[in-house]
Amino acid sequence: MAANNNEHHVSLVLNKFEPSQRLKTISFAMVAIGLIGFVVGLLKNQDRLWTSYLTSFFFVSCLGLGGFFFAVLQHIAKAGWSTSIRRQMEAMSSFIPMMVIGSLVLLAGLKHLYPWADPAFVAENPLIQAKTAYLNTTFLVVRLLVFGLGVLFFARAIVGNSIKQDQNGDAKYTHKNVALGVAYILFFALSFSLFSVDLLMSLMPTWYSTIFGIYCFAGLFQSSLAFLILMMIYIKRKGYVQGYYNQEHIHDVAKFLKGFTIFWAYIAFSQFMLIWYANIPEETEFYLMRSEGAWMSISVALLVLKFIVPFLALLPRGAKRNEGHLILVCLLVLVMQYTDIYWLVYPNFFEGEVVFGFYEISILLGFLGLFLLGIQKFYQRNNMVAIKDPRLDEALHHHVSY
Amino acid sequence: MASWKYGMAGIFETEESIIKAAYKTREMGFKNFEAISPYPIHGMEEACAIKRSWIPYVTFSAALVGLAGALALTYWTSAVDWAINVGGKPFFSLPAFIPIMFELTVLFAALTSVGAMLYACGIPRIDPPIIDKDLTCSKFAIFIPNDDSGYDESKISDMFRALGASEVKKAEF
Repeated sequence: MAANNNEHHVSLVLNKFEPSQRLKTISFAMVAIGLIGFVVGLLKNQDRLWTSYLTSFFFVSCLGLGGFFFAVLQHIAKAGWSTSIRRQMEAMSSFIPMMVIGSLVLLAGLKHLYPWADPAFVAENPLIQAKTAYLNTTFLVVRLLVFGLGVLFFARAIVGNSIKQDQNGDAKYTHKNVALGVAYILFFALSFSLFSVDLLMSLMPTWYSTIFGIYCFAGLFQSSLAFLILMMIYIKRKGYVQGYYNQEHIHDVAKFLKGFTIFWAYIAFSQFMLIWYANIPEETEFYLMRSEGAWMSISVALLVLKFIVPFLALLPRGAKRNEGHLILVCLLVLVMQYTDIYWLVYPNFFEGEVVFGFYEISILLGFLGLFLLGIQKFYQRNNMVAIKDPRLDEALHHHVSY
Repeated sequence: MASWKYGMAGIFETEESIIKAAYKTREMGFKNFEAISPYPIHGMEEACAIKRSWIPYVTFSAALVGLAGALALTYWTSAVDWAINVGGKPFFSLPAFIPIMFELTVLFAALTSVGAMLYACGIPRIDPPIIDKDLTCSKFAIFIPNDDSGYDESKISDMFRALGASEVKKAEF
């Protein structure tokens, strides 16, 4: 496709990434606060520590997994427009090794979180006894390892191919990533469902919802798109990358964000409506817990602030091309994604009473700090744009028509 | 039967030349000209300085009408006119109405958009005049109607020729 942009000549600038002193200090400070929170929690209040750990761990893992998933999607779709922003998605996958370690650390808190991990409790509950073939520690460790190491393997291979291509621009890497990508999506669809069932749904082992994995995936995708937009704007404003991507690319990712905001609401409502309609006690328990006391206001806040507000705020074309506006919407989506996971975890432990404080904030900051450090390391080691990708030219001339 | 506009048309052979011609035509002060192409060309909106369409506002309004209409319909049928006790739930049960509200929102928005699009484009055009047979296949054209400001046949003809038009002729569109 010929370039018709007579008006704007694109000058390409690709600087070596060097994180600003402020960014480095902030990231390390966040990790330090997280460590302090973790140690204080271990000594003083293990129950609160592990609930906040699970919430933040799942939230940040979803960002890492979502960035990688979106990158894989570009390979499978053989997308041209997104080649110049694919490295930003790949950078988010740098959290995956930390996710594997984080899931192993979580095993230390198993007894504080999961009723099925307590043999005395299981012995009294025949309903849970019947599920022990699946819900037992050994099998959980196996599943966590298969999921974590599997994702790590694919991330190494797919992101690795993309980085190797920077050297010589060999098109074989592009072709290889299509096959690997298809395999990964199949693996991810099944294993992430089990991952969310294991970590979040089994907090209440008597309750089940067959759409739960997709519900978690919808939040994962929505929030990682929001993070991707924030990162794209940050890098663009700091001038590390100029000309490779512009407003047009941000506009298209914002369209994805709007689409998957609707998708989340669709899935969330599908889960709610069937349970509400059937009105079976073992299913409604989940929503009853979340309609008691202060939890009701959080449930309503999810509907309003995770769907209605972002949806309307992303509807006009101008809104998706206005960076200041997008930053606000993306921050809101990220806050609400944390709230969503918090809302999945906490009512199991605190009936009718919303608790939020030092433990939640410090552990969240700790995980976010690790996530940011991983991304910075990734950018220091690699080019910030897939400079030799065969489809890069398409991305440089990307243009969104009216 | 719709009445056609009279004016001048310049026929161009390449995508690059039509984009350039559209920019130039706009610079010359013409406002109501048409660029005709067999396929969508990136950058054409900017070249012709086409404003954004008003259709999204129609879509949004129709969506709101669909949403409100569906709520009214479900409320009236389930809670007023023919109230039936379903599973002990209240007659007015919003969760049960939401799928219908969603569907009617989408239906109204989609059908109205298509209608508005047909109206905006003046479709169907029955038996329209043909400027050049190849305009649906391999060629491009700029058409300037004779009611546009600064319309002057010799001036336009010179401009088209200078822009590399393969043919300049009086035409109907």
